[in-house]
Amino acid sequence: MVKRGKIDIIKDILITIRDNNNHIKPTPLLRKSNISSERFSTYLQELLTKHFIKEISDYKNEKFISLTDKGFRFIEKYQTIIDFIQEFEL
Amino acid sequence: MAPPHIPREIITVGFGTEIIYSFVIILCSLIIYFGTKEIYELSSYKGIKYFRQAFLFFAIAYFFRSFIKFISVYFNNNQIFEISPRLFGPLTMFIFIYFSSMAIFYLLYSVMWKKWKGSSKQIYLFHLLAFIISIITILSRNILVYLGINIFLLLLVVFTVSLAYNSSEYKRKGHNIYAVYVLLLVFWIINIFDILVPNFLDNIKLVIYLASCTVFLMIFYKVVKKTGPN
Repeated sequence: MVKRGKIDIIKDILITIRDNNNHIKPTPLLRKSNISSERFSTYLQELLTKHFIKEISDYKNEKFISLTDKGFRFIEKYQTIIDFIQEFEL
Repeated sequence: MAPPHIPREIITVGFGTEIIYSFVIILCSLIIYFGTKEIYELSSYKGIKYFRQAFLFFAIAYFFRSFIKFISVYFNNNQIFEISPRLFGPLTMFIFIYFSSMAIFYLLYSVMWKKWKGSSKQIYLFHLLAFIISIITILSRNILVYLGINIFLLLLVVFTVSLAYNSSEYKRKGHNIYAVYVLLLVFWIINIFDILVPNFLDNIKLVIYLASCTVFLMIFYKVVKKTGPN
């Protein structure tokens, strides 16, 4: 199995959120992301800082994670980024 | 010694060509830089960052190249050091040499950063090296020293790029980006000869300019094809 790069892991996390009606709790997201909890926390923090995702709470005060417009834009542009990196051997 | 008299029509036509040539390359470089802004902001990928920086520095270097050409034509003198030996000449040459060296280093680093473990501190080493190259050239005031340094850099880049090509993950038939990078550097060296050596390859200057523009337009086309209109 090919080792996933950082961009691939971010794409997988964002797609998991999107495919879950754009709201998912952190624990099932961690399980579906297929990375260690330590790395997951780092990625989650980075995605929050970069405004790819946001945390929302429902009426029971349960925490959910949801994509922002920038997160959707990343998914849209993912293949372009990968093709660009391969084309220019970066 | 007074420079040889050059007919005014040749200077005018030549300088017009210079302006168009510089404009095409600066425009291509800036479109590459700004056209890749979004994919860099989304991915924060270091390779894309260094690739963009290379073209920003190429744009600045070509701007100063055309500026030096303009000054040379305006004062009817081939050497900027002779026009202003104390401050203006050395300062302009320093900026030109520093930015052009950094453009080459950034392009090299964009394809090598993963193999060199990707430590961003290495880029400071390149800044220091570009600074030293610029200082040596300014202090020695010997264009042969600068040309020698650049030919050494070219050989170093060709060697490094050939190593990268042999271990490339994406090596496939018809994929010639390394050849394009080497051509880009070869034409850059020819451009340096052109600015430092009076009447260098005057007879085929137009061919060199067209070939140089073609290399930039090839990269520009590849960037636009991959990134799309946005």
